[in-house]
Amino acid sequence: MTKIAQSSPGLRRSWPEAPSEPRIRFEGKMMLPGLILLAALSILPFLALVAMSFSRVRLLGGVRLELVGLSNWVRSFTDADMWMSWLRTIIYFVLTVGLEMVLGLGIALCLYRVLRGRNLLLGLILLPMFVAPSIVGLLGRYLTDSTFGLYAYVLRSLGFTGDILGSPTSAFAAVVLMDVWEWTPLIALISLAGLSSVPQSVREAAAVDGASGWMTLRFIIFPAISNVLLVALLIRSMDAIRYFDIIWVTTNGGPADATKIVPIRLYETAFRFFDFGYAAAIGLTMLAFSILIARAFVRMLDTRGLTR
Amino acid sequence: MGLSRCREVQWTVDLSRREVIRGALATGASVALAGCGSHSDAPRIAGGDPWRQFKGATLNFISENTAPTAAIAANLRPFTELTGINVSIVTLELSALVQRVALDLASGQAQYQVIYADPYQVLAPYQKGLVDLRGPQSDPNLPDLPGGLADFIPTQLDAAGRFVDRQAVYALPYDAPTMIWQYRRDLFDKYRDRMANDLGFDPTPGGDRTWEEYFQIARWFNENATSDVRYGTGHQARQHDSLMNDFSNVLWSYGGDYFDNGKEVGRLGTTDPGPCRLGSEAAIAGAEFYNRLLGIADPASTTWDWDGVGAALRSGRLAMCPNWHEFAASNEKAMPGKIDYAPLPKGPVGTANMYGGTGIAISANTLPHERGAAWLFLVWSTSPETQLTNLKSKAGGGTPTRTSVYALPEVRAAEHRPSSMPNMLTAAAVREAWQPDRIGLRPKIPMWNECNTAVFTQLSRMLTGATSPQEAMRSITSRVDQIVARGWVA
Repeated sequence: MTKIAQSSPGLRRSWPEAPSEPRIRFEGKMMLPGLILLAALSILPFLALVAMSFSRVRLLGGVRLELVGLSNWVRSFTDADMWMSWLRTIIYFVLTVGLEMVLGLGIALCLYRVLRGRNLLLGLILLPMFVAPSIVGLLGRYLTDSTFGLYAYVLRSLGFTGDILGSPTSAFAAVVLMDVWEWTPLIALISLAGLSSVPQSVREAAAVDGASGWMTLRFIIFPAISNVLLVALLIRSMDAIRYFDIIWVTTNGGPADATKIVPIRLYETAFRFFDFGYAAAIGLTMLAFSILIARAFVRMLDTRGLTR
Repeated sequence: MGLSRCREVQWTVDLSRREVIRGALATGASVALAGCGSHSDAPRIAGGDPWRQFKGATLNFISENTAPTAAIAANLRPFTELTGINVSIVTLELSALVQRVALDLASGQAQYQVIYADPYQVLAPYQKGLVDLRGPQSDPNLPDLPGGLADFIPTQLDAAGRFVDRQAVYALPYDAPTMIWQYRRDLFDKYRDRMANDLGFDPTPGGDRTWEEYFQIARWFNENATSDVRYGTGHQARQHDSLMNDFSNVLWSYGGDYFDNGKEVGRLGTTDPGPCRLGSEAAIAGAEFYNRLLGIADPASTTWDWDGVGAALRSGRLAMCPNWHEFAASNEKAMPGKIDYAPLPKGPVGTANMYGGTGIAISANTLPHERGAAWLFLVWSTSPETQLTNLKSKAGGGTPTRTSVYALPEVRAAEHRPSSMPNMLTAAAVREAWQPDRIGLRPKIPMWNECNTAVFTQLSRMLTGATSPQEAMRSITSRVDQIVARGWVA
């Protein structure tokens, strides 16, 4: 109503005494509470984090910052352990997201062909997704426990003599698989939604033209659902970079730092060593990395016209 | 005209809405400020019974989820009846506790008035945030400590209660877990003669055994007793604080140490410990032995902390292990009469039994009456009567930190089976372990948490074969030196 009044020349002419254009327009006023809330929740903490990254933080007697210049940043870029954590994070990221995409899409394709009981099957497949990650970690820890764990028992009967969470390679594989177990259903669900949107007529036309199953998949299905897959990839990627709970519960970053990815190191630096300045530098680097990944995906979506 | 009236009406409605919104905001802000602002002190009734002067106060006690606190929590009613003070107990895993305590001390408010002050993770880094207990102890309006400070075991009072200053006391010894040799008595009885014949020495666990003999006994079980147990020994060798504890027993017995003057750095603590000495020949020899020992231990050892190895012993998987003596009560419950205790073996230089005791302290952010009420809780919870009740508690119970409790006839009687206080079955072993020359005290320095992480991470690398014992010790040395050089700000 107000907008109509402001934009209509006829109405403006009838109130020549109307005040000039206000500094904050109606939309701005409406958005102001939200912006204030956003500032309180995000912008101010972000600025505090930036300030902390250039400081040494004292806790006792109230939080105080002592400026130390670039030393936290220099340390974060020259710390060999930190670089190893980044390498592990990237390997972990590629493995979890890659496996989840492949398995999720595979499950979605299988489910799409099921006509009877699809909802029941889908419900069962989605179950892991509803479990809290820390509970997934606990479950994984008990299943791999060498005294009473089911998986440990099965692997032992197959000739595996070590302890699953006791050696670097198997521990890393175990935490990757726990994440894959939990989040593959999400990819399956998103992919299934994408598959349902592929027009039946196009599939039938391909079949009439004699396209094989693989050709249909390659030239019809994948191009049709690629945008949906890209969104799924974006969602999972943002999550995988921040992965924490399962590793913290199962291996605590060990053995031999084999599962110490950047979020674990960040937590350790902040809340075990209380070196908040260095932790802020690590956190901001993680944020920059997340933004880079997100920008890459958003750009891909943008080129396809999906962000408009 | 009509439109104008309409605008007037709307204006009126707008005004009243604004008033409502303003009112709501003002109320919200005042509630928030009240929540964030300073809280009021506890009431005090002057004169009369000194134990009831803070009647109506509420205390929050934050503690690690340990057996003594479980026993205290199950037995709070006598304190409330005695003082009229309500106590809420929050129990957490140790690292979560340290985090909460640090943030609470930083807030300037004492949400937790009574603090379970781990000497290495709370007392050393945040000593300035704790009350010097000589203040309330000398206050004539407050009750005295029964038996005084002298009744506490002296090494424990220094290790758990003091930091640098020999006079100041920041915490009262509250629990005293100590690592000792826990073994399957039934299996040692069964195989003693065969083992003695095969190994050429009496395998009975005790202070005279050496780590080398421990190794041979463990290997003997691996090779000859698999029908009874899967492995001779198991260890708490997860990449965790537990790995540093387990390794340190061997390190000290081989003559290695973290810093020069290690006994003093462990007992009283320091803010500047000097250069790390883990690169010494003795330390490397200790690391080499530990690596060899873990090579024949249960492979799951690298996934166990103290709880894991305790559960493995109780499940019948292991013949022996080093572990905290406070597991005796749960051992006796799971395997009555089958597990016995001895001090840890000795190395080429001597023996050392890691002490993991903790004190109970008062936050320096407390208001005066709250501080008085917290003192009452400290006095009560560490009193001989309460420690005796805790020993008998079905909810767990630790082991006393006062010499007078160990001297009580019923406690001495409980050192032998059948025992109504199963933790006392370890008394003979821990009595030896607490001798000043045998107690193992890790460095009490403010930056220990980070140093500790460097220690157990490199040890974990050594155990997985990623690095040699020599490289591991040198790597720890350089990392610890870097951490110490950065210093500590609290």
